[in-house]
This record gives sequence, structure tokens and C-alpha cells, in this order.
Amino acid sequence: MRVLIAEDDPLLGDALQAGLRQRGFDADWVRDGIAAELALAADTFVAVVLDLGLPRLDGLRLLSRARARGVKLPVLVLTARDAVADRVKGFDTGADDYVVKPVDLDELAARLRALVRRSRGDPAPVLELGGLRVDPAARTVSYRGRPVELQAREFNLLQEFMLNAGRVLSREQIEGRLYAWGEEVESNAVEVHVHHLRKKLAPELIRTVRGVGYVMPRDQGSG
Amino acid sequence: MARRSIRRELLLVLLTAVAVTWVATVIVSYVDARHELDELLDAHLAQSASLLVAQVGRETDEIDVEHAPQLHRYGRRVAFQFWENGTVLRLHSANAPSSRLSPTMDGFSDVDLEGKRWRVFSGWDADRHFLVQVGERLEVRDEVVTKIAKNLLWPLLVALPALGLLIWAGISRATRPLRLLHRQLEGRAPDNLAALNLGEAPAEVAPLVASLNRLFDQVRVSMDNERRFTADAAHELRTPLAALRAQAQVARGAGVDAERVRALDNVIAGCDRAAHLVDQMLTLARLEPAGFRAAFEACDLRELARGEIAAIVPAALAKSIEVELASGSPAFISGDAPLLRILLRNLLDNAVRYSPSHTAVRVRVGEADARAFATITDQGPGVARDERERLGQRFHRVLGTQASGTGLGLSIAKRIAQIHGATITFDDPAAGSGLEVTVSFARRVEAPSRVLA
Repeated sequence: MRVLIAEDDPLLGDALQAGLRQRGFDADWVRDGIAAELALAADTFVAVVLDLGLPRLDGLRLLSRARARGVKLPVLVLTARDAVADRVKGFDTGADDYVVKPVDLDELAARLRALVRRSRGDPAPVLELGGLRVDPAARTVSYRGRPVELQAREFNLLQEFMLNAGRVLSREQIEGRLYAWGEEVESNAVEVHVHHLRKKLAPELIRTVRGVGYVMPRDQGSG
Repeated sequence: MARRSIRRELLLVLLTAVAVTWVATVIVSYVDARHELDELLDAHLAQSASLLVAQVGRETDEIDVEHAPQLHRYGRRVAFQFWENGTVLRLHSANAPSSRLSPTMDGFSDVDLEGKRWRVFSGWDADRHFLVQVGERLEVRDEVVTKIAKNLLWPLLVALPALGLLIWAGISRATRPLRLLHRQLEGRAPDNLAALNLGEAPAEVAPLVASLNRLFDQVRVSMDNERRFTADAAHELRTPLAALRAQAQVARGAGVDAERVRALDNVIAGCDRAAHLVDQMLTLARLEPAGFRAAFEACDLRELARGEIAAIVPAALAKSIEVELASGSPAFISGDAPLLRILLRNLLDNAVRYSPSHTAVRVRVGEADARAFATITDQGPGVARDERERLGQRFHRVLGTQASGTGLGLSIAKRIAQIHGATITFDDPAAGSGLEVTVSFARRVEAPSRVLA
């Protein structure tokens, strides 16, 4: 799950990025409103952590502009402004959650997971499909009752497939959601990860749509 | 002890004054009336005597010692004797004794007769044959004068209470604005600093009300400042604290040592930053009160700059920034040396903080016209013209900068400049990019006003 952090404070931004990465997110960090707006246009994030006091473009203005443009991403406002009026304004401008600094990183990660779940229309914290069970909070996977060990990137990929079950994901989409900017991506990285997932779980879980991408069918047969 | 009351005091003073004046008037009138009455009645006595001499002298042959009839009830109080050769009593009033009324043979005399006091006039006829003595009881005069005095005094007894009531009512009316003021102030919430409104306050109360309203205004401004500062400070402290907490949490959850060490380094940097922020906030808060008192003395701006440059050089060198002081002569101003050091330190700190590596910060100190100035020029990114106006606003940081300033340095510098009546201006440097900050002081011999608004 790739999230965007818009925070101008260098130490806090750094900590949010590192902390969310520790908790299984891919986190990109921008330091001002304009950069955040550009990043949002790329549509590779599942959620945004937004500071309000951003240079160049204030967080609330950025938010209202993004909502006006039709951006539906869950947005968690993380700010020092704690007045009720500020909170109300934040929600009314389009925030999905409002957290006053300082925040516990575990709580922040949990809130982000909840926001993402709700935005997918599936409030269950554990993803289940066929015999597959993925717990994003604990970052554990089991298949037909048997625990499966996955690498971080494989877990993230599986999570993307489950969150988008029934939808075909192109290789570019997958790369965008798995890798931060500037990260070197081997040309066949996605194929390799898919291959590993099929081997560790079951080959029929992920289907290849030739020339388009991959899909995890919604109704997994029992066999 | 009962509190002094204007009403009671005024009432007492006024009534005492009225009574004393009145009584004094009565005494003067009494003395005066007595004197006039004496003259008048003495004249009457003398007149009666001469009348007697004229009337009776011719008829004495026919009358023996005779009792003259009493014709009026006051007659008892007047007596006369008619003596031939001063030795033979020829005629006298019924109430006169047979001995002479007065031993004095000529003019006025006061005598005691049978326990009563008499005023007696003695006179002779033209031949000095007959002596006439006419006496009058002195108590008559006392009665008359006492009556006059009484008549003057009794209205006072009636008037004093009436006057007292009138004065009381008048004072009550006059002090109504004070009671109104009291009512408006009483039960006022501490944060209610609205202006008092007494309508048409009298001349004695209007300045009090105006002063109070002015005070309310000042308190409101300073409370607003305080409130804004507290709100700003809470806001500005939250982010560094959030960073500290998050970095600490990252350190705890770090999988590899390198990550943990990096996060812990960030925690230390964050603590330093928070400490610096708190220092700056305290400095500003100390300078903030409207009546801040600075201790002015003669200071050499150049010497102060030299000291502050020396202090910042290590930090500058760590960023490969050179700091230099252009040659020149001392520039004396009247100022508060510790405050001026803080001012220069903040300007230098900003210059070094926002300068990229391998650049120079140049400081010039000098005198021009009637002013002394210090100019600090950096080769950093500079500040856009329309942005310069907002420099020095509390917690305002220049956008797009990576440096982690507190946003308070320039506020502090501006406040210190204000205390010194100095100005801070921002210009483009003569060449290249950067910012040129000049703080300019009037070179006054005497200190500027010590209490600053």
C-alpha cells in the first residue's frame, strides 16, 4: 500500500516515512503543497497523510482543489491545529480523518489501513478470498489454514491483488503502487514476484491476461 | 475602622463652616448691637437728665421730697433723683433709693444697688445748683441684646439640619457617576475589557473613566498578544514534539542498527531544535511586554558584532561558510548590550542557516550621516520582494527553504530594534544572489526613552 506524506518539517517527515515503511507501507514524502498536488495527479497512492501548514500551497487549499478535481483518495490530515473549528473545517473540506500531532506511528498506520479498507467498501480488517487470508495489520498470510512466508514486496503485491480482486492490473500500475519514485525497477520484477506468489500459494490464484496484465479472479474455485 | 467617605466629609466640613460662620456673625452682631445700644441708651439717659433739669429746676420750690409717679411698666427699671447742691434730695422716682444713685457727680457710671446693676448719668443744671442722676437697670440692655442674639441664632438651629439634607442630596447627585462607575466595574468578568460608558461624565470623573478605558485597551492588546502567542507556541511546539516521538518510535522499531542509529541521531537533533525553539520563545516573551525596560549605555556596535561573529564561526565553518567583518572604525550607539548581541546573533544565525555551503557572509559596521548601522550580507537564495514584508512575523518561515528555523529569530531582532528605535531593512546585495539585512540606529547621545510603548 503506497501512501503519500505531505509534511514540511524535515524531522517529522523523515520519521513518518521511515515509520510507515516499518509498518508495511510504501511511503513517499513531499515537503510542500505544489509537490503534493503533482504527486496526487499520478494516482498511485491508496491514501494521503496531509499536514495543513504546507509551504507554497496550504494543505486545506490543496485538499479542496483535489476534491474539486475528483480525487477520491482517503486523506488523513495530520496537523498541530487542534481547535474544534479547525477539525470541522478539515472534515468539511474533504478530510477522511483528522489527527492532531503528535501521533503514535502504530495508530497512524492503523488509521490509514482503516481508511483504505473503507475506501474499498470492505470494512473487514482481514482480507479473505477463497482459501486465502491476508492480515494487513499483522502482515501475515495463510492459505487453506497453512501459514505462508512472504517477502515484503510479495506481500504488498498480494495485498494489491486482493484489494483489486476481479480487476485487471497492468504491469505499470503494479510498479507504480509497489515502488517509490526513483527506485530502480528491474524490467521483469513484477513477473518475478508474481511467479513467487504462484509458487508459494497456488498457480491458479493469479491469472495472466496476455498483453494487458494480471488479475486475481473474485470467485476462486475450491479446488 | 470605617472607610473615609467623601459624602460624610463634605457634609461635616460644609456644616461646620456654615455653623462657625453663623456663630461668628452672631458674636460680631452681639458685640456691635451692644455697643450701638449702649450709645443709644446712654444718649437717652443724658437726654432724660437734661430734660429733667429743664423741667423740674423751675418748679423745685413747690415740690418737697416727692415720689414721682410711675407711668409705664418699664418705669420700674428707670430711676431718677434730683439733688439740690448735690446734698438734698428734692425729687426722685418711686423706685429710687434715698441715697445717691451714684457717687460719681458727673457723666456716666456703673453702680451696684441692692444687688442690681445700674447705669447712671449725673448732670448739673446751668448754675450748678441742682444735680440730676438718672439711672437705668443694665439688665434691660442685656435682655435686648440677648434677644437680638437669640433671634439671630435660632434660625441656624432650624437651617443647619435643612442645609445638611440639601448638601447630602447635592453630594449624592454629584457622586452618582462614581456609583455608576462602581456598578459597571463590579461583577465585571476578568476578560471583559469593553470600554466603560458613563454617558455625560462630569469633568472630575471623565478623566478617570478615560484613563480606565485606556488601561482596558492596553490590557486587551497585551492579552490578545499573549493569547495569540500561546496559540502560536502550542502549534509550533507540537510539530517538533511529534517529530521527536515519531523518530523515537522509528528507532524502537528499527530492524537494522544503521536505521536505529540514524533515527536516534534525528531524536538528538530534534531535541536540540526544540530546545532552541523554547529559548527563542522565552527570549521573545521576555521582550514582549509593552513596558519592557532596557538598560541603555554606550555600546560599540563593531565590538559587539566581532563577538557574535566569533561565536558563530564554528557553526559556519561546519557548513563551509566564511564569515568576515569588513574593516572600519568603532560605531558607538546608545543601547542595551545584551539585547544588541541577541539581535546580531539572530541576524547572523539566519544568514548562516539559509546560506548554501561554500559561500560567504559579510558583515559591515559603520556610520553614515547621523546613523550607525550593521549590514549582514549573505549569498543564499534571498527573499522575494513581496515576501520581505512578512519577514519578522512570528513563526513565519520563508517558503521553500529546507533549513529548520524556528521562525522567531527575526521577530526577536525586530523587537530589539524597536526597543532601540532602530530599523531593519532588507535589500538585494550589490552583486549576485542573497539577502542584505541592515539594522540602522540613530546615533543619539542621550538614551532613547526608557519605557517603550
